[in-house]
Parts: sequence; C-alpha cells; structure tokens
Amino acid sequence: MNRILKTTVLAAAVMSVAGVAQARDQIRIVGSSTVYPFASYVTEEFGATTGNPTPVIESTGSGGGLRLFCNGVGEGTPDITNASRRMKVVEFERCAENGVTDITEAKIGSDGIVMGQSNTNDVVALTREDIFKAVAAMVPVDGELVENPYTNWSEIDSSLPDREISIYGPPTTSGTRDAFEELVMESASEEMDAYEEGYTDIRSDGVYIDAGENDNLIVQRLSEDTGAFGIFGYSFLEENLNTLNAATIDGVAPEAEAISSGDYPVARSLWFYVKNQHADDVPPLYDYVDMFMSDMMIGDDGYLRDIGLIVLPEDEREEWRQAVADRTTMSADVLK
Amino acid sequence: MSHTFDDISQQLKHRHRKSTRLKWITMGSLGLAGLFLVLFFADMLNKGLPAFQQAYIQVEINYNEEAETDGRQAFDEELIPIISRTMVRVIPMELRNNPDMIGTSTNEWVLATSEVDQYLKGHRSSLSPEERAAIDERVEAGQVDMRFNTTFFTNGDSKIAEYAGILSAVIGTVMTMIVTLAISFPIGVMTAVYLEEFAPDNRFTQAIEININNLAAIPSILFGLLGLAIFINFFGVPRSSPLAGGMTLALMTLPVIIISTRAALRSVPDSIRHAAFGVGCSRWQVVRDHVLPLAMPGIMTGSIIGLAQAMGETAPLIIVGMVAFIPDAGVSFTEAATVMPAQIFTWSGEPEQAFVEKTAGGILVLLTILISLNAFAVVLRKKFERRW
Amino acid sequence: MQTNQLLLIFCAALLLLGLLAFFAGRSKATRIRSAGTAMFAQPDQYAWFTVLSTAGPALLVSALGAFVLLLMGANIPTLYLLAASLVVAAIGLLVSLNQVKPDFHARQAMERVIRMILASAALISIFTTFGILFSIISEAVRFFKMHSFWEFITGTTWSPGASFLAAAGRGDGGGAEFGSVPLFAGTFMITAIAMLVAVPVGLLSAIYMSEYAPSKVRTVAKPVLEVLAGIPTVVYGFFAAITVAPLIVTLAGFLGLDASYNNALAPGIVMGIMIIPFISSLSDDVINSVPDTMRQGSLALGMTKGETIRDVVVPAALPGIISASLLGVSRAMGETMIVVMAAGMRPNLTANPLEDMTTVTVRIVAALTGDQEFESAETLSAFALGLVLFAVTLVLNLVSVLMIRRFREKYRVNNL
Repeated sequence: MNRILKTTVLAAAVMSVAGVAQARDQIRIVGSSTVYPFASYVTEEFGATTGNPTPVIESTGSGGGLRLFCNGVGEGTPDITNASRRMKVVEFERCAENGVTDITEAKIGSDGIVMGQSNTNDVVALTREDIFKAVAAMVPVDGELVENPYTNWSEIDSSLPDREISIYGPPTTSGTRDAFEELVMESASEEMDAYEEGYTDIRSDGVYIDAGENDNLIVQRLSEDTGAFGIFGYSFLEENLNTLNAATIDGVAPEAEAISSGDYPVARSLWFYVKNQHADDVPPLYDYVDMFMSDMMIGDDGYLRDIGLIVLPEDEREEWRQAVADRTTMSADVLK
Repeated sequence: MSHTFDDISQQLKHRHRKSTRLKWITMGSLGLAGLFLVLFFADMLNKGLPAFQQAYIQVEINYNEEAETDGRQAFDEELIPIISRTMVRVIPMELRNNPDMIGTSTNEWVLATSEVDQYLKGHRSSLSPEERAAIDERVEAGQVDMRFNTTFFTNGDSKIAEYAGILSAVIGTVMTMIVTLAISFPIGVMTAVYLEEFAPDNRFTQAIEININNLAAIPSILFGLLGLAIFINFFGVPRSSPLAGGMTLALMTLPVIIISTRAALRSVPDSIRHAAFGVGCSRWQVVRDHVLPLAMPGIMTGSIIGLAQAMGETAPLIIVGMVAFIPDAGVSFTEAATVMPAQIFTWSGEPEQAFVEKTAGGILVLLTILISLNAFAVVLRKKFERRW
Repeated sequence: MQTNQLLLIFCAALLLLGLLAFFAGRSKATRIRSAGTAMFAQPDQYAWFTVLSTAGPALLVSALGAFVLLLMGANIPTLYLLAASLVVAAIGLLVSLNQVKPDFHARQAMERVIRMILASAALISIFTTFGILFSIISEAVRFFKMHSFWEFITGTTWSPGASFLAAAGRGDGGGAEFGSVPLFAGTFMITAIAMLVAVPVGLLSAIYMSEYAPSKVRTVAKPVLEVLAGIPTVVYGFFAAITVAPLIVTLAGFLGLDASYNNALAPGIVMGIMIIPFISSLSDDVINSVPDTMRQGSLALGMTKGETIRDVVVPAALPGIISASLLGVSRAMGETMIVVMAAGMRPNLTANPLEDMTTVTVRIVAALTGDQEFESAETLSAFALGLVLFAVTLVLNLVSVLMIRRFREKYRVNNL
C-alpha cells in the first residue's frame, strides 16, 4: 500500500511539473547579431521598468531571423525579428505565403564600420578600393586576377603611407565581418572591371588577422601594434578616441552625422520587423515596440547611443516612430 | 677491465645518488601539480573576491512630478553619471504604482555604477579626473561605501555590469540538473542493474559494455551536436531550454552513473543474493529488496559525482543554445535559460572591466558548489561504506 | 497550449486507470484467495501486473505514435493519438483483469516484463552512440555534397568566406574553401603541448605516490589531484585567457620573442594541468598492479630502488601508462572550452606555439553559434569536423582499451 501511494505521488509530481508549461505572455525576438546588443538592452529595460516578463531574445543572424519570422503565425514563431539590412522582396513573399501578412517595419538607427588605427599615426585617407586591394585574396594586376601581392600600403597607392599592411578584423562568424564584406568588398569590387560580380574573399596569408569576436581586444591590439589597422564598429572608435583615430573612407570621416545621413559609405541601417498578427496573443508586444522607438532609447540622448547606436536624424526618426505607432502594414512596394 | 673495490663503491654511490634523485624528481612533480592547484585557486580568489563587494552611494531621492516620466529628475544632476542606471529607471514605475509617494523624498543607499566601483577597487576605470575627485570627496564624507554585494545573488544577468547577478543562472542550473537527474539516474541504474544482475554473458552484453566505456570518453561537444541535431532539430525540443540542455547532459552523465552503479552493485557480496534466492525470492525481488538498498550509498555517491560533472559542463550547452541572455529567471523547463558555466562564459566575453570580476566571482560560486557536492559525496561514501 | 492541457488530461486519465487497475486487480485476487483457492502469486503482485499491462502498452502506443508523427510527418492529431492510447490502456486493464486467475504466474510475468524494461534501458546507451553517429553523419554527408571530402581532408586553406555571405542572404557560396589541415594542425599542436605538461608531471607524480609516498601523503595527495580534474573547463579557459596568456606574452617579450595573446601555449599548458590527474590516477593504479615479486626480484639482484623503478616497474606498467596517455590525448583533442576562450580564431598552419592558431572544436563552436543559417556550408562543416573528431577519439579510446586489456591479461589483475 505504501508503495502504491508513493508511486501515485511520484507520477502526479512528474505530471504537474510537465503541466507547468504555461501560456506565453513573453515576447520572442530573433535576428541579427548586430542589433542584438541594442535589443537585449531594451528587453532588459522593458522587463525591469514595466513589470512585464523580459522578452526572450536570440541572436540568429538577419537571414536566419527572417526565416524563422516568416515561418508562419502562431505559437512557436517569433514576434519580432531584428535585421541589419532591409527585408528582401523574396523574404516578404515567403512571409506572405506562410500567412504572415501584417508586418510593421521599423528603422532604429545605423551602424558604421571604421578602419581604426593607433592615434600615434596621422589620419589616413583611404578609398574602398584601397581597402579592397589590401585585404582581397585575388586582385587585378594589369588586368589579370592574381594572388594579392601587396604587402605595403604605398604599393597600392603611392599617396598612402609607407606602412606594412596589417589588419585586425572580425571572424567570419561575426556580423561586423558580414557588414564589412558587403559594404566594402562587394561594393568596391562591383565597380572594378576585373570582377564580373561582387567579390568578397579575404586573403588568408596572415595580413588580415582574424581577431575574434571581441572588438575590445582589437582596440587593445591596435595600441600595441601601432602600424596596424583594425576593423570594428563605430561605437568602439567613439569610446576610444583617446587612443585611436580612424581613416577617412572615400573622403568622409566616420562621424555620427555622416554615418546616419549615409554619406559615410561603410554604414548600414538597422531594422526590426513586428508581426502584428501576434499582438492579441502577446499583449506586451506593442509596449516593447513603443519603448524601443522612444527617444529614451533611440533618441539623441538615448541609452542605445551610449552603447554604440548611431541615431537617425530627428525628422526621420519621427517619421519611423509615427509609422510604427500607426502599426502601418508594410507592403512589398517599399522594398523594391 | 678490472673493478677495484673503490671503483665499485664509487659507482654504487653514483647509482644511489641517481636513485635518490629520482625520488626527489617524482616528489617535485607531485609538488608541481599541487603548486598549479594552489596558484590557480589563489588567482581565482584574488580576482573573484572583490566581486562580492560593491560600491554604494548615499543619495537623496526626490519623488517629484517630473520623475514620474523621467527617473533622472529624482536625483541631483551630478549624481546621474555615478549612480547605477538600474536605480534610476525603476523610479517612474514605482511612482506609478504608489502615486502618494510624489512630493516626498528619502535618503537611501543606492548602487553606484561599475566605473565607480572599479575605481574604488583600484582597477581600470574610465572615470574622468574630476569625477574621481568627486568620488574621493564623497568617500571622505562617508557617502560612498563598499558593501556586501547582495545584488550578485538576487539578480539575473544584466547588460549593466553593477546589476548583473548569478541568480538566473543558478535557477537555470537547478532546472537543467533536475532534467538531467530525472533521466540519467533511473536509466543509468536500470542499465547497471541489467548488466550486473540480469544480463546473460553474450555478445550483446559485451557490445553494451564496450559502448558504455566508449561513451564515457567521447568529447562532450559531440553530445552537443547530438542534442542539436536530434533533440532540437528533429524532436522540436525548444532551443536554449533546460529540457534540451538537461537531456543532452543526461546522455553525457549516463556512463558515469552506470559505471559507478555497477561498481556499487558488485561490492554487494553474493551471499546476500544467495540467501534471498534461498528463501524463494525472484531475481527482481532480490535486486529490489536486498541488493539495491545495500548498494544505494555507492549509487548515490556516483550520481552526485556525475551530477557535479554535468554541472560544470559548458560546451554541449553552448551548442544547444543555452547561452541566452536571461535577466529574470523563470521556473520553466521549456523556456530559454542559462546555466552557471554558460553565464561565466558569456561574462568572460564582455568587454567591460567590471565583468572580469563578475566572471571570477561566478567561478568562485560554481567552484564552491562543486567542491561541496564532491565533499558531500565523499562523506556519504565514508559514512555508509561497508566492508563485507 | 492546447497540446499541453491534452497531455495533462491524458496523464491524469492514465494515472486514474492505473490506480483503478491496481485496486481492481488486488481485490479480485484477494477475493479469489479468500474463497480458499491457492494462487501462484500474492494479491499485490497481481495488482502490479494489472497496472503494468494497463499503463505499459498505452505508453508504448503513445510514444510510438509520437515518433511516427515526427518521423513520417504523418498527420495524426494528438487528440486521436492520446485517445487511442487510453483505449489501449482500457483494453489492457480488462485483459489483465481477466488474467488474474489462480494458475497464472503473475510474479514470473512481471519478472519478464521487468527484465525487458531493464534491457531496453541498457539499449539507450547504444542508441546514444548511434544517435551521435547518425546526427553527425547525416549532416556531414550534406556538407560533403557541397565540398569534396578529399579537399576537406587534405586542403590547407580554411576560408569559409563567401559561404557566410550565402548564409546571410547574398551570394551563392562559391569560392569557399574548407581544407581542415590547419585546424587539425592547431589541435595537434595544443594537444602536444598539453601532453608535454601532463605526461611527465602525471607519470612522475604517480610513481611517487605508488612507490615512495607514505600512505598518509597518498591519501591526501590523490583526492587533491582529483580536484584538478573536477574543475569545470570553462574555469580553466578563463584562467588560460586572463592569467596565463598575458603571462606568456610578457615572458616572451623578455626573451625578445613576439607572442600573440591567443597563443597556443597558454591553452596547451592549462589543458595539460587539467589532464594531469587522468594520467596520474590511471598510471598509479597500473603501477600498483605490477606484481611485487618483480620489484623484490630486482632489488634482490642488487638494483637500487631508482633502477628498479626505471628498468623494471615502469617498463612492466608501460602498456597501462600508454593507455592512460592515449586517453589523455583523446580528452585534449575533444576539449572545447579552454581553446574556445584562450586559443585564436585564425586557421594558421605554423609550428610556432607563440602564434595564434585555431582548433577543430573552436571551429565547431564558432560555426554553430555564429550568425548563419543551419543550411549553410559553414554550419554543416561543424558536423564534418565533428565526424573526424569522433573517428579519431574512437580509435584512440579503442587502442587504449586494448592496451590496458593486454596489461591486465599479462599480470592477471582484475581491478582495472
């Protein structure tokens, strides 16, 4: 008798534990690793200041995030996806096919990538083509593609300083690398005749040094290795202006205004997409979205600026905030 | 060549000297291993102990009307850069919940920013010289104080260094370990019982035995690949959840439990079994009523050691996504969670100086738990160990 | 959430049926017995038999159904599946109640069922191995469809480069190279450094403990060394990255050498420290099992103690020591956290341990936690690397087991 009692209690306990899996009032967010630090900051703030549960946020990459997001509507699919590029038409169509038809698009700011160096050097003026020639695996020499022969910046262009090329950069798994390849490599090679399409292979003979995910480490290395350049996010430059300076690219210096206006060529916009169809099932959804779009977060003195977001110009910011506040359903037209 | 007595005694001396030298070398090696251990613990304590102290600042909070929308308005302007934002951001909500607090003011000790904290601890800090001077002044006036860091134990992870704590990781670890034990303990004991008490000695049994020994030596990261491909991608177990992590770790712990349970079962003398069979018990009754109870302390010891091992494991959990950012921990098996070693890993990647200390502090907490578990296992073994 | 509630209801119903089965079975058996008929088993045993045959088949059906549901993608609504299981449970209950007869050996029937349950538990460990193999191979095959196996094994350039772009939604993934030689070179380099630390220290400590140490020292030293094995690897990783690596850079600086912060030496040394107890513990056991007669014989011939150890004991114990070292190698190769935290990210084919280099496990972690989709070649390459790692460690383990078995047979010791 004793044993049956024990067995019953045990079984009941197992069951009740299994049954604890409760309804969801927690927002689920996926998407870009570039937006991740900003979004996780907002989620923490959201959890701490509104009494709502802290949203669960996962860094899956922009492509992966949009894929999960467009998988359908309902339990198990994310409510928001972050992206470090705009949604593509094919992705929008995939969403629509799977019934995700009511999406609101939000632009939160930009992110710039700089070529930094120790500020014991003078500011160098680079073009995207220079950078491309310094890091590409194959470069055109006399009209033919050969293995990159350049070891010194002055070989690329005689106006550049006589310094050995040595570049600390992010690894292939980082969002910064993705952006660098897109914004520098791809766009530079598209304008060069030698390539039929965008070329993004980075040389692996030790000139380009994979420095790991930690941008801070790159910054540290640069103050030791004063001849080298480092590729990292604008926010790290801003934090370390006492030890670093950055090359101008195509004549534009990396400054917040130039980046958010798009004048600085190596910059991209950051986005998130909201699944309006989930608003009823996940009540705190819009509270989170509105908090993200508030001046407290993405404004000129916003918290995200402190951690490296490059804020939008005020009128544009206002425009996006309004669009989000109206829960504007996006259409494929804006993406074309 | 003839050997004189002198030659030989010379040689002998030489040989004995060599022999003694070997003794000292081996002793030195053991000493070296011990030295590593001492250095390691000294380094961790040196880095981690400051994490249990935290700078607090005494401030006046004015709950005025503006503070209901902007928490910053409740504080003196010069305080804003040195007190933790986590103290400021909750003020509007507090006021919304208790409207009659508006117009009052209190004098409280609040968290300082990690920069102040690091400065006071003598670490690298990005405070400007003026700010440093201002802090020094407040220290003189007794308005800044180092206190025991309760936040570290009552909070989950945070992007704001001074507010980051280990609680959500502890809860995640507990949830994960519940899953791990719930799966690996019964299955492990059942497997061991089968192999020791029931299994015929045939090819199949041998295959299982070889397989278990092999499983024990497979790199843990491969269990992560299994968890990712089978549990998450195939069975659809929620990513990052204690369920996914616990199941993966359970498979990893299984060989440890099986091997130690078998040893425990083997140490029960056959006379007990024979006596039980003699009074007409069936095989299962013998195992259930006689062998298992006697082997239980040994089984428990093995399971605790296996549990401690699983608790410190990180690599497979990273693969199944248990490195999520969890500010407030939920008690759920299916929602995203993190565990202590994963939290240590995440913190170690944070660029801020304050997180180095947090990492080492987290390590100290984890090591304390692991060492107590192992000590408990040893005590258990000592207490119930029986010589037949 | 509906599924959850359904599941809860199902469990409750099954529990109720089980209880019902228990009491019904027992009362029936008691009734028969009190009527004076001799029975083969006790009422409680009949009761447990009915419970088992009620819940067992039902759980089996629901588990099988769930499996089919997942495997075949068949569209059986959960409701029907659970309802069907409950029906099975009810049938089981009726059938087994019917079986409660004086001439039915409930105890033996139970025994058979329990034996089967135990055997199937034992099968789980086999399934685990197959699960690992299956999951790794199936994804690795997908990878080898994209990139040739030969290139993977012999290529000296690891640059997933463009495949990353394809994953991020642009480009076609062309131009990526997956030559794993630099990764394995890094792994072997770090493993070699680790073994250079672990084997001498571990072996010599073992010799001291088994040949010289007074038993008091032994009882303290052994568990203290085991502490080294119990420290989580993530902690070692932090130690290597924060304390040891900068130390090495400074030391190298004194010697006029240029060391990277992610040098291979730091993780190697720390990994070696971690492996010391694996080697010392097993070597200690092996040296202890070398028969004392051999020592006595050697001493009787006038050998010094040191010579006895060097020329008699250690050679006799050699298979065991090699076996311990092989296990150490296998552990070092599969070790992940230390290298993830302290070794570099750059696939680097070099013989200089002061440079940064990356390892197989680092690449696996990087590929599976980065910013790309599961289908991309870079993610799948993790499984290809895992496959090779699995094969190498498997061979090492098997060789190690064979060697220790040979030692055991030679000296007829059973406690290894």
